[in-house]
Amino acid sequence: MSAMLNDPPLTSNTGSDNLIARLRRRMQGEWGSLPVILGLLCIWIIFQIANPNFLTPLNLTNLLLQITAVGTISAGLILVLLLGEVDLSAGAVSGLCAAIMAVLNVKNEVPGLIAVLIALAAGFGIGLLQGVWITQLRLPSFIVTLAGLLVWQGALIYVLGTTGTVNLTDTFILGLAGTFFPPLVGWGVGAVFILIYIAWIGWARQQQMMASMTVEPLREMITRSTVLIVGVIATIALLNANRGLPSAVIFFIGIIVIFDFITKRTVFGSYIFSVGSNAEVARRAGIDVGLIRLATFGLASMLAAMGGILAASRLLAVNQSSGSSDLLLNAVAAAVIGGTSFFGGRGTVWAALLGMLVIGSISNGLDLLALASPIKSIITGGVLLLAVTVDVLARRRHETVER
Amino acid sequence: MRLPKIFIRFIIIIMFASTLLGACVPTVVAPITSGKIAFLLPETKTARYETQDLPIFKAKLKTLGFDVEKNLIYSNANQDASAQQSQAEAALTNGAKLLVLDPVDSSAAAAIANLAKAKGVPVIAYDRLIKGSEGVDYYISFDNEQVGKLQGQSLLEALKGKIDPVVVMINGSPTDNNVTLFKKGAHSVLDGKVNIAKEYDTPDWSPDKAQEEMTQALTALGNKVDGVYAANDGTAGGAIAAMKAAGLKPLPPITGQDAELVAIQRILVGEQYMTVYKAIKLEAEIAAEFSFALLMNKPIPLNRVNGKTYNGKIDVPSVLLVPVAVTKANVKNTVVADEFWKVFDLCKGDYANACSEAGIK
Repeated sequence: MSAMLNDPPLTSNTGSDNLIARLRRRMQGEWGSLPVILGLLCIWIIFQIANPNFLTPLNLTNLLLQITAVGTISAGLILVLLLGEVDLSAGAVSGLCAAIMAVLNVKNEVPGLIAVLIALAAGFGIGLLQGVWITQLRLPSFIVTLAGLLVWQGALIYVLGTTGTVNLTDTFILGLAGTFFPPLVGWGVGAVFILIYIAWIGWARQQQMMASMTVEPLREMITRSTVLIVGVIATIALLNANRGLPSAVIFFIGIIVIFDFITKRTVFGSYIFSVGSNAEVARRAGIDVGLIRLATFGLASMLAAMGGILAASRLLAVNQSSGSSDLLLNAVAAAVIGGTSFFGGRGTVWAALLGMLVIGSISNGLDLLALASPIKSIITGGVLLLAVTVDVLARRRHETVER
Repeated sequence: MRLPKIFIRFIIIIMFASTLLGACVPTVVAPITSGKIAFLLPETKTARYETQDLPIFKAKLKTLGFDVEKNLIYSNANQDASAQQSQAEAALTNGAKLLVLDPVDSSAAAAIANLAKAKGVPVIAYDRLIKGSEGVDYYISFDNEQVGKLQGQSLLEALKGKIDPVVVMINGSPTDNNVTLFKKGAHSVLDGKVNIAKEYDTPDWSPDKAQEEMTQALTALGNKVDGVYAANDGTAGGAIAAMKAAGLKPLPPITGQDAELVAIQRILVGEQYMTVYKAIKLEAEIAAEFSFALLMNKPIPLNRVNGKTYNGKIDVPSVLLVPVAVTKANVKNTVVADEFWKVFDLCKGDYANACSEAGIK
C-alpha cells in the first residue's frame, strides 16, 4: 500500500509524446470544452463590438438569469442523453409542473414551499410514469416522451383552467429566482464553492493514486484549478458590481455541481454511463438496467419541473405557453453544444452551463441589437450548427488518431 | 343461474321507456335544421377561444333553435395551419353547409375558402381575415387598426407632459395578420410624437420572449424608458416582469390587450396602465346569427354590416366591432358590468383592497 501512495508513475506522459498528442488527449478529457469556450469568447467579442452594453455587469447578470431555467431543464436532459435515450416531454413537463405550483398556491392557497414540493414530486412522478412505459413495455423513449409532450401540454391548459394566465404573488416562490444576495454573501458562497472544489479534486486524486490509476500531472491540475478559481472570483465580482448574487444562479450551479458529483462519483452515476455506453454489457455485468433508466427519467423530469418553477418565478406568472415554443430545442441544443453525445455514454452535466451560455449569449445579444425576428432566427440556427460542427470535427479527428 | 323475474321485468320496462323517450324527444322539440355548421378555431393557448368564443357561439345557436349537439362540428387547429386545412376538409366531407373559420394563417386559409366555394359552401371569416380568396362571404371582427390606435392614444395620454419620451414597442407574432394591423394603428398615432427607441416582434406571442426582449431593451437604453407599447396582456406581463427585475420604480405606463383576468388585476394595483377590451360575447353572437341566417336562407341582419374589407381579391362585407380601452377608471363600467370576469375571481386575495378602492364589489 505504502508504495502506491508515492508519486504516481507518469506512464503516458513521458518521452515519446509530442505536444499535439498531449493537447488532443486533454481535449477529450476536462479540456474537451475548450472549442466551445473559444467560440463563446468569439460571440462575446462580436456582440461587444456591435453594442458596448453587452459586456457590462448588468447585461451579464441578465444573461445568467436568462439561462438558469432552460439550463436546469437541459441538465435533466443530459442525464437522459447519457443513457442514450431522449426526453421530448421536458419542456411540457416544466410548464405543467409550474402550472400545478401556481394553481395550488394562487387558487387553492397552498403555502409556497409546499406547492413547490408538490410540483417537484409531480415532475418526478411523470418521469417515473414515462420511465415505466419505456423500460417495462420496451417502447422507444422518443415515442413515449413525444406522446408525453402532447399529453402534458394539454394537461397544462386544463390545470390553468378558464382564466388562463395565473399571476404569482407568493414571496417564497418569487424569491426562488428573484432574490439578490448582498456582496458579502456572494463572496462567502464563492469561497465555499472553491473550498469544496479543492477538497474534491484533492480527494479524487488521492483515491486514484490509491487505486494506482494514472493521475493527471500536478502542473495541469493546478492550471485547471487556477482557471476555475479565477473564473469564480470574476463571476462573483461581476455579479456584485450589479445587483449581487442571484438565487436563481445558486440553484442552477448547485444543481449542476450535485448532479456532476452524482454522475461522476457515485455507483449510480457510473451505472448511467455503463448503460449508455452499452446496455447489453451493463446487463451482463449485473446492473439492473431497467431500474437505472427508470430512476434517471424520474430525476430528469424533476429537473424539468425545477426549471419550470424557476422560469415561473422569474416571469412572475404561468401561462398557456409556459414550457412550449423553442424551449425544449434550446435545452437539447445546449446539451449537444456542451459536448454531450446523442448516442449515450459521453458528456458532462456542465455542458448545460456551457451550452446555455452560448445559446443565451446569442439570443441576449441579438435582442440587445433589436434585430428583426427572421434575422434573429437565421443567425441563431447558423451559430448552433457551426458550434456543433466544430465540436464534432475536433472529436472525430481525435478518435481517428486514437485508433 | 337464472336471473330473478323482477330483474328481467325491470329491464323490459327500461327498454320500453327508452324507446318511448327516443320516439318522443324529436317530435316534442324538433330543431329546425338543414345541414351542419363547422366552427373552426385556431388554437387553445389563448384562453378566450375555448372559454368564451365556443360556448357563446354554441349558446346563441341553441337559442335560435339549432341542434348544436348533432349539427355543430367544432375543431381546433392548435396553431397548425395544415391541421386546420385537414379539419376543414373533414368538416366538408361530414356535410358542413357553412364554415365559420378563424384562420391560423390568414393567407394559407385561402385554400380552405376556395375549396368551400367550389362546393357552394359559404364562409364567414371570424376574428381574423381570410386573405386572397373570393370565397369569403362575411368578415366579423374587431377593428384591429383601431385597437392599435387605442393603445397608442392611451400611451400618449399617460406620457402627457414628457418631452420626446422614450418608448419600447413589443409587438405580437409576426405571422398573425392582426399584428400587422395593430402595429399600423399604433405607429399612426405614436410616430413623430415619441421616440421609439427599440421595437421587437415576439414569435408566438410568447410572454417569456417578451420578457427577454424588454430586459435587453432596458440594458441597451440604460433603464431610461418612459413608456412601453405591449401588443397584448401576455407580452405586457413579460415586459412588466423584466422592468420589476431591473428595479424600475414606479413602473412606466404599459399597454395591453384582451382584458385577461391577470391584466385587469395588474391595472387595479397600478402595474399596467391599460388593456383593450373586446366584447367577444357580441362577436361570437353575431357570428352565430349570421351563420344561422345563411344556413336557413333567412335574411341576414345587414344592419350589423358596417364596412368592407379588401382581402386582396374582393371587398368582404364586414362587421367591425369597436374595441374599448380599459384603465383603472373604467374597469367597473366595462369588464365588471359586462360580467366578463366574476368579481369573485377578480378580487381574490391580494387584490381585495385594490378592488374596493376602484369601487368594485
